[in-house]
Amino acid sequence: MIEEKENKNTSEKTNETSDVPDGSKRTFLKFGLAGAGAAAATATGVTILKRMEGIPHDDFPLHMDDTYKPIDQRNVILTFAHSKKLNEKHPERIEKFNNFHFYERYKQFLRQPYRTDPGYTQLDRALQVGGFSGVFEQVPDGIDGTDSGVFSWKQEMLAKEKYRFSSKEEAVLAIKSAARLFGAVRCGITKHDRRWDYDPMYDPVKGDKELSWEKDFPFVPKTVIVFMVEMDYHTVGTAPAWTADGTVGNGYSDAAKLSGQMAIFLRQLGFKAVASMNDLGVNAAYAVASGLGEGGRNGSVITPHYGPRVRISKVYTEFDFVEYDKARTFGVASFCKNCKRCADSCPSKAISFEDATMGPTYSDDPEYTWNAAQGILKFHNDAKKCYQFWCDNDSGCSNCIAACPYNKPDFWHHRLVDAQNVMAPGPMHSFMREMDILFGYGKVSDPEKVKNFWQTGNLI
Amino acid sequence: MMDLTWYLLGALSCAIVYGLYELSQKQRLNWLDWTGLILGAVLILFAIAWSVGAVLEGVPRAGSMGMLLFGLPGIVLTTLSLRFILARKEKVS
Repeated sequence: MIEEKENKNTSEKTNETSDVPDGSKRTFLKFGLAGAGAAAATATGVTILKRMEGIPHDDFPLHMDDTYKPIDQRNVILTFAHSKKLNEKHPERIEKFNNFHFYERYKQFLRQPYRTDPGYTQLDRALQVGGFSGVFEQVPDGIDGTDSGVFSWKQEMLAKEKYRFSSKEEAVLAIKSAARLFGAVRCGITKHDRRWDYDPMYDPVKGDKELSWEKDFPFVPKTVIVFMVEMDYHTVGTAPAWTADGTVGNGYSDAAKLSGQMAIFLRQLGFKAVASMNDLGVNAAYAVASGLGEGGRNGSVITPHYGPRVRISKVYTEFDFVEYDKARTFGVASFCKNCKRCADSCPSKAISFEDATMGPTYSDDPEYTWNAAQGILKFHNDAKKCYQFWCDNDSGCSNCIAACPYNKPDFWHHRLVDAQNVMAPGPMHSFMREMDILFGYGKVSDPEKVKNFWQTGNLI
Repeated sequence: MMDLTWYLLGALSCAIVYGLYELSQKQRLNWLDWTGLILGAVLILFAIAWSVGAVLEGVPRAGSMGMLLFGLPGIVLTTLSLRFILARKEKVS
């Protein structure tokens, strides 16, 4: 009996001991799998976050060949349109573009009578003109002004003593802190690069004259500091109504104020500086070079969180004790290749539906493509058509900004979509474009949005 | 408003976790039950957060689409999982 009992106990013990290792193994396996899953999720999260910060590049991220030349400012559409002299000098440009007289149409800007349809009333015109008034107060020659107002080349308020930063990092942080205070939502610092400067520069307002970097500019610039200010999401959404120009003008006003203040800030540190907006050089190229964003299909810089809904200004300075920002790519080129919402929404069909090319594909006639950059891989759009619509609309347009899927307010779910977009392959981008439409984003020419904008006073 | 939404969603998440714990004590759940219930709950919470965000940014259509594309599958998944669990319980009893 006792033997039997002992045997039973032994067999139970044996069973118990054989069960324990099995259970431990299973538990170990479960914990192991959970741990591996958590590690994989963390690694994926870190990779996505890193990717969202952009891939840094040592060189300019767009392919360029030997045919690229710095842009002659006389060939910039707005400069050309401002200048009676240039229009008279190039009648072939007018003739080739359906006898559209750039200068005469420019003079008639903001002269159309008020209408009754939403977005084109006296109220909307008042918003538009009020928005732009800030920039005209600060820069008497207007948004394309050179050596005017806060963009003056005179080195007034230049401190005699040069401030010494203890390190380049400290200098970068100080400059960006000041920029944030003065209204920048993004700031990048890059080396001065002659490729992105207008050469020659041209002042269509004060005497129609060429300006030389060597003879006229007050110093040899070494650094360009680029700033972005945000335009209002609700107002941009009213595009292409006059209402949308309210935030465009306000953006210009903020950008001019910001770069003017930053130029004074640098001069007070003892370094020569000149503020600039649409003059001196190509904003988009400098913004890309300083890592603020990527060139989109619509020709704007697409910057994380804001998309193309920003205005850019810059400061040229001799200060160079800084750690320069690197250009970064965020997957925008790939997204734009597949999306094309801006091209669909463009009322003048100025935006190309084609893939990025080294030169314009809308025409091979040099007398027509006189304003186009050559030898750089990008989406080449016909800016003349864009300008013509502005004149017809008696306002800017902004459809391509409003329709862009990157143009979203700062809500968590858009950051989630951003994260998805940087990692996803091309076909997924087309799917996301369709989802963007289905979810009701990026609709343009919508009178309801104008009505909604005029209710945004309730938000404050 | 979004901050309040996050707070309420946090409270709701705690309630869901507690509910799942209670359910697992009363009823043996297999991996399919766990997957269905957790995925369903996550989808419902996601749909609420998405839709509130969309309405707050002034795009109510995005909110409705969020409810339709995330909320509805969440409800279907949760309901099916609970139905299967209840049916199994009745069969056992």
